[in-house]
Amino acid sequence: MIKDLLGFMLRAAVVLTGTAFITFALLWNAPGDPAQAIAMARYDALLTEEVIALIREEAGLNAGFWAAFFSWVGPLVVLDFGRSAVSGQEVLPSLLAAIFYTFPLAMAGLAVGTIISLPLAILATKKPGGLFDRIAIAIASLGAAIPAYWLGLLLILFFAVQTGWLPAMGARTPTHAILPALTLGLGVAASLTRIIRSGILEARRQPFLPAIKRRGVSSKAIGRDHVAPHAAIPVVTLFGLELAFLLEGTVMVEVIFGRPGLGTLLVTAIETRDFPLVQAVVILTALVFVTVNLAIDIVYRLIDPRIGEPDA
Amino acid sequence: MLKVANVSVKHGAAVILSNISFSLQPGKTLAVVGESGAGKSTLIAAILGFLHPSGGKIAWAGASVRSCGPALVMQEPRSAFNPLLSLRRSVMEPVIAQNSEISKRRLNRLCEGLELPAEILNRRPQEVSIGQAQRVGILRALIAAPPLVLFDEPLSALDAVTQKHTAKLIADLQQEEGFAALIVTHDLGYAVAYADEIIVLKSGRIEEVATPTTFAQTPKSDYSRTLRDAAIALGALEASS
Amino acid sequence: MRQSLLNDTLTVSGLSVARSGRTILHPTSLEISPGDRIGLVGSSGSGKSTLGHALVDDFRAQGKRVTHVPQSPDEALDPLRSMAFQWREAEQALGLQPGSADQKTLFSTLNIEGSDLRRRPWGWSRGMQQRFVISMALMGTPDLIVLDEPTSALDPVVAAATMDLLDRHLGSGNIAMMLITHDLGLAARRVSRLMVMEDGRIVECASTKELLQRPQASASKALVAHRSWVELPC
Repeated sequence: MIKDLLGFMLRAAVVLTGTAFITFALLWNAPGDPAQAIAMARYDALLTEEVIALIREEAGLNAGFWAAFFSWVGPLVVLDFGRSAVSGQEVLPSLLAAIFYTFPLAMAGLAVGTIISLPLAILATKKPGGLFDRIAIAIASLGAAIPAYWLGLLLILFFAVQTGWLPAMGARTPTHAILPALTLGLGVAASLTRIIRSGILEARRQPFLPAIKRRGVSSKAIGRDHVAPHAAIPVVTLFGLELAFLLEGTVMVEVIFGRPGLGTLLVTAIETRDFPLVQAVVILTALVFVTVNLAIDIVYRLIDPRIGEPDA
Repeated sequence: MLKVANVSVKHGAAVILSNISFSLQPGKTLAVVGESGAGKSTLIAAILGFLHPSGGKIAWAGASVRSCGPALVMQEPRSAFNPLLSLRRSVMEPVIAQNSEISKRRLNRLCEGLELPAEILNRRPQEVSIGQAQRVGILRALIAAPPLVLFDEPLSALDAVTQKHTAKLIADLQQEEGFAALIVTHDLGYAVAYADEIIVLKSGRIEEVATPTTFAQTPKSDYSRTLRDAAIALGALEASS
Repeated sequence: MRQSLLNDTLTVSGLSVARSGRTILHPTSLEISPGDRIGLVGSSGSGKSTLGHALVDDFRAQGKRVTHVPQSPDEALDPLRSMAFQWREAEQALGLQPGSADQKTLFSTLNIEGSDLRRRPWGWSRGMQQRFVISMALMGTPDLIVLDEPTSALDPVVAAATMDLLDRHLGSGNIAMMLITHDLGLAARRVSRLMVMEDGRIVECASTKELLQRPQASASKALVAHRSWVELPC
């Protein structure tokens, strides 16, 4: 157990360091002068060489790649994200404020996705290859093929512009979250439906099921006690990947619906070359991934204790 | 001659094989019997040089076993072949660099000995019966005329009648070709019927070395007697009274 | 009602199985009396297992208590569920109260008492898993237990012990047994009546003694000729 934990920490450290390094290197080598971009964002005007040089000095851009990298990574270890190069304010509070908007949205998206896909997949597998199954597959494929920005615009067009039932822009009230959550959730539902469906069908092919049936166990009990746990294993894996999709999707959705949050924060930070802020968002994302992977690992072991057993 | 001298294999603190010694002459058959976990597969891996013993020496005619080009016949006949290749390509792989005329003649002769119609080699592993697949496995093992052939449970995937038929074919080919055969099996009936000598392996140690007759009639150790009695109880050996 | 008169005898008639347009079991009829010991033998692919499954399903549909033990415990036990769970599930399927099946007796006759039931199948050795499956099949005294190559996944010593324990438990009781195997040598020592299968048909049916001495069908002759490796003079 302790060995597992150490192994996990080591892997997490490698992933986080790698992420930090790659983001930093990408930003550092991006075309254009970062000092210029910061100056533009801060003062909204073209400035003299001296002021630009001052900004370059202040943002630590003169020190060279490695020095700049380490002066940023060092404080990260104690969760000090530093100050924004543009506003000069602490990064952490704006980060937390953004999470406050993004996290509920992502969870709502996941919830919508699960609520749609789970019953759809279960109904589809009642009669594999049947009419309902085909319809479910068609819906899922369609959902996977439609990009989030297009779906978002469609929803806005119908629910906000034409009918006026729901608000489209901003995040003032909880109702403002309905359309963004729906946009995210429909995308999630598309891939989840397919995975849950094939997970169930795969689990039904387990070699021991005929024997349990011959023992006289009802098909309802077999579905609940034997098919569901086996079907859960691939579904849990997909939940982790789904999170990647969600994070990517929230960036898009937040921009479309004009909501504050991590996505909007990231987009502005990139536009203004705000190194510390961009890096903070990326590192946070990586941290979420690492944590979710750990959670999935734990859930795996709860479902199937053979995973992680040396003898299995 | 295969010579195994004082071979031990350890895995961490666990002793898998302990002080194993025996020799095997060309043309002779040695059977290693014992239960799962006795170390039979480890012994094969050690002889083939897949793992290094922590002590002792394994040699063929004074040189390394690998240099003599030993062959291995595995338990699961179908999964021992690449499912995408025709059986002919898999069989000819060991002799791809050699004169194709000579190999072809040899292939035909071996096919005859193994009662395999030549047409079967054009199929893929899934398209033949298990019994046929195992005979093709033996064919592949023998194509390069190895002086030493290791058989790892060669019959256990086959049904009772096919087992006995295949065992006979192997023995006849051995008469012709003169290879040394080391057979690892849990089937005592097979060992008693075809081996020149039987080694009983238990928890990594040699429990008894005996001729088939001694083993079947007057086994020395208690464990050998247990094995013999189990073989009788399962009908592999018939105690005629 | 098929079962009103011959209440104790299990009967099937005209049982057949076709898969993707090919007949893999030709119409078969047979009777099994209480306490029968039957061996169903034949080469691989002769249709033994198909007949075994079809028999179990047909008898169950008639409302008879018939159980089946597959070749490998992997085909009988869910690796994600504890042994205790699978035992309780089998009890419930029989309509028994939890703990009312005579687990203690069954476990002691099959020599698996004292094993940790909280573990999952892979925490047990394969021999013990197989004996657990057999003891589940014996739960609640069935009319017939069908064993399909019950020992081929086991080491000889464990296999022999398992067959001996099963024999002892069945004794001269009323549970009928059908042993399906490719190995006539194995079946001949355990059963009183043999059925030989070839290409999806029962080609011969005789008492063990009769069949060993005077096999009629070619499949039977091959099985008899190859039933053991060596005859020991002793």
